[in-house]
Amino acid sequence: MEEKLKNRHALAVSREYPQANFTWIISLILSLIFLGNSFSFKTGDMNMVLFAFFIAYLTTALFQFFIAWRMKHDLLGHGEIRKGTRRLGYVQLISLATGNVFAAAFAFNIINKRKTPEYTFAVYMFLTQLFVIAISAMNIFKPYVTDTFPVAMAVLLGIALFHVAVLIIVAKSVKEVEAPRSLGVVAVIVLLTAVTGNIFALLLGWSLLLKSMSNDRSRIMKWNVMWEKITRNSMAAMGMFFIILMLTISVVSRFTFDYDLAVANDYGNILQQPSLAYPFGTDNFGRDVFSRIVFGARISLIVGFASTVIPAVIGGFLGGIAGYYSTRTDNVIMRLLDILYAIPGILLAIAIIAAFGANTMNLIIALSVGSIPTYARTMRANVLMVSNYDFVDSARALGTSDMSIIFKQVVPNSMAPMIVKSTLTIGGAVIATSSLSYLGLGVEPHIPEWGNILRVGSTYLESHSYLAVFPGLAIILLVLSFNFLGDGLRDALDPRLD
Amino acid sequence: MKLGVSALLKRTFLEAHGRAMYRFLLYLTGLPLHLLVYLFYLLKRKDRTYAAMMAEVEWELADDRINYVKEYEGQLLRKAEFFEEKRSREEIHREAVKLAEARLKEEAARRADERLTQNGVRKETYAAYFLSLLDRPLFLVASILPGIVMYCWLFLMSNPFLKYIMERLVQSVFVIIGVGILVFSILYISPFDPASNILGESATKEQIAAFNRIHGLDLPYLHQLWNALRGIVTFDLGSSFAGSEDVASSIKNKFPVTFTIAMFSVVMAIVIAIPVGILSATRPNSFLDTTFMFIALIGLSIPNFWQGLIFILNFSIKLNWLPATYSPGNVWSMIMPVIVLGTGLTASIARMMRSSLLEIIHEDYIITARAKGLSKSQMLWKHAVGNAMIPVITVIGLMFGGMLGGAAVTEKVFNIKGIGSYIVDKQFIPDIPAIMGGVVYIAITISLVNLLIDILYAFLDPRIRSKMKQS
Repeated sequence: MEEKLKNRHALAVSREYPQANFTWIISLILSLIFLGNSFSFKTGDMNMVLFAFFIAYLTTALFQFFIAWRMKHDLLGHGEIRKGTRRLGYVQLISLATGNVFAAAFAFNIINKRKTPEYTFAVYMFLTQLFVIAISAMNIFKPYVTDTFPVAMAVLLGIALFHVAVLIIVAKSVKEVEAPRSLGVVAVIVLLTAVTGNIFALLLGWSLLLKSMSNDRSRIMKWNVMWEKITRNSMAAMGMFFIILMLTISVVSRFTFDYDLAVANDYGNILQQPSLAYPFGTDNFGRDVFSRIVFGARISLIVGFASTVIPAVIGGFLGGIAGYYSTRTDNVIMRLLDILYAIPGILLAIAIIAAFGANTMNLIIALSVGSIPTYARTMRANVLMVSNYDFVDSARALGTSDMSIIFKQVVPNSMAPMIVKSTLTIGGAVIATSSLSYLGLGVEPHIPEWGNILRVGSTYLESHSYLAVFPGLAIILLVLSFNFLGDGLRDALDPRLD
Repeated sequence: MKLGVSALLKRTFLEAHGRAMYRFLLYLTGLPLHLLVYLFYLLKRKDRTYAAMMAEVEWELADDRINYVKEYEGQLLRKAEFFEEKRSREEIHREAVKLAEARLKEEAARRADERLTQNGVRKETYAAYFLSLLDRPLFLVASILPGIVMYCWLFLMSNPFLKYIMERLVQSVFVIIGVGILVFSILYISPFDPASNILGESATKEQIAAFNRIHGLDLPYLHQLWNALRGIVTFDLGSSFAGSEDVASSIKNKFPVTFTIAMFSVVMAIVIAIPVGILSATRPNSFLDTTFMFIALIGLSIPNFWQGLIFILNFSIKLNWLPATYSPGNVWSMIMPVIVLGTGLTASIARMMRSSLLEIIHEDYIITARAKGLSKSQMLWKHAVGNAMIPVITVIGLMFGGMLGGAAVTEKVFNIKGIGSYIVDKQFIPDIPAIMGGVVYIAITISLVNLLIDILYAFLDPRIRSKMKQS
């Protein structure tokens, strides 16, 4: 009886079992989406490629369901997942070929019993590299490729092979709080591969350096706990994966994609349906929509980050001062910010752009100004809370200057909510960017930006709807990723949830 | 009765006297009365006891001064030693003298007050004199005419609700004026020249000058700003630059469309999101909860215009169920815009409701309610949902603003002739009165909605009520 209860508990606390369920559900949903799109109700035609995808995803989902069932059986019967079940993960790795990143991430997760943050980083680092190569490889079907394409692809493949090696080393040798000293060299090389924009490599390198060089156990434990909390939430991890994939793509696309295909007019290829050469078709000027979307990621990320960092710094500064100093300073700053807060962000942006013209720089400024008050309010609330803590009082009693208290005690301790807030608002900034571009008030029309692509697409909605569908999907995916990551960060950093 | 009134007046007078801003208003509203009373005060003030006493005490304390300086010097030296700071003797001496002076003053005032109360004399100030007058019914009756404004104001102040509402109103007025100044200034410093944009490149200097004169663009900044603000208050914004239509009346025609759609969206959001939030919170981490929250997050991540386009593609073009563009009077054509505009709000409210209710379910008083034997649904409906709604209503108020702003995009997609698309159409010139009017009137609407919600709270939320009474 007691045994049974213990096993039940094992099932309830298992982190892998919910992920297994989540994976089969999402694979099933994806397969249904493929099925729905493979059949045209109007003409009765079947799209064989999409139907093949449906079969592949359905198979993955069914196999995943089987794994989940085995896991439940194991957990209830033995209190742990048995080796045989874990081996099934190797089979599930095949789903990587269909691009099912959910199943692949799960498979990597189940194979290894001992989960260190390094292993998770290494898995996602490798997946990112693989997807970047796959997306870049789509260029092979184009009539011509850019000059740097072969070299860049070779380098990317080399890095990917190296990443596989690192993944195996990490899985075999890195322990909970320590790593062999010799891994320091590997860590440095991993750090170097982060220049492709692969932040997972940066995280892995840093983490390996920390474990192989530092003896500060509490610091390592803190690092472990924080990342374990973030990656435990599989949606947050997926969000992070997709954001970093976008970032890597926008760095690598400089060498693997031809910018001319995205901007130069090609009147011989106007409004082509999606094909292997043009995966998302071409627009009314014959430009390749796939390349345009890939290059659009760059603008969206830059504008999104800039219009989040600028107001976070300015608003954080103002809010910090308002919260720390007297009521009068507080009143003056916050009442002035109330004025900004009373105008909806988009309207203020429209007014600013009306006054100074539509270009990327003005767009960033316009979006930044509108969100200063939100950050100021968040920061002020935190500072008000933190500056009442005892350690601030003791710093004051020791005669520390105000500036030093603010920057050494108060600011570091009120950063967590600001980070969460920023992550959650980057998504909003991405939406605002594309919305304004769609209205013709954002990025200059000749630059490939998701809102601009959609603007073109909206005029061909009836005949060539794919022009409007794909850039919209890209926007949703990126925004959704930021929102999932933000939710995950909030759950991980909120001390109340400990 | 008379006594009650004068006690109330006295209490409020004292309270208001404590804060600089209110003190100023107090004297301003009762200016005629105060002038008269002040004359009497000057005439009748016989003793200069307080000043004399101060001088006496200060003279007595002269000896202590040296002691104070020495004492502070010692303290400062020890402090410098402890923190290993290098400070010159002179510097320390100077600081010690400063501290000693401050303490001397404090001490003198304290002693003088002490002695005066011992002798049964009070410090004679104008405020005290006025307060003593308020005790006399005869004075009250006599002063009712010159002081009517001030008395009304004091009565307003004496009621915490009225005071709160008034403060909130004043704040909103300032915010609205600030919005006007801000938007006008942004448009004023614009490098674009509306005259040459409208008249074309071939316009002569005289034509441009005439255009600027007609629209008041040749006036100095402050004058133009004054005109713009006055125009907002009097609903007379002049005519737009292009097409010279009356801006105020175009806004009046377009605003109801936007507002109606926004209101329907809010209603839709509340009807859908609150039950969803409650269902999710009562079954945390279940399959239902996860699915709902997943859908809500997708709803938050969909750009309005894309959702609109996909709706048009599916429901208008492919299925031919609903009209693709909005036409006034056709209820069917309103469905898609309302859903598109309300999606983000629905998602936010559902998420907010869930987290707010989850937080409240774990409060002690809910556990008490369960312990005293209430069933789960009784506990939920009697104690939890009402309290969980409080932050949700705030979110609705705040999001309503974002919705009116975001309406511009939705209106463009469905070709609705609302205020949002009006502003967007006018911004290319830039048509200063039109943009200014549109933005400021939307900001005013948002401020009013939030004001209403805040006032509603003052009546509904017991926590705010007790806080107001304390202050």
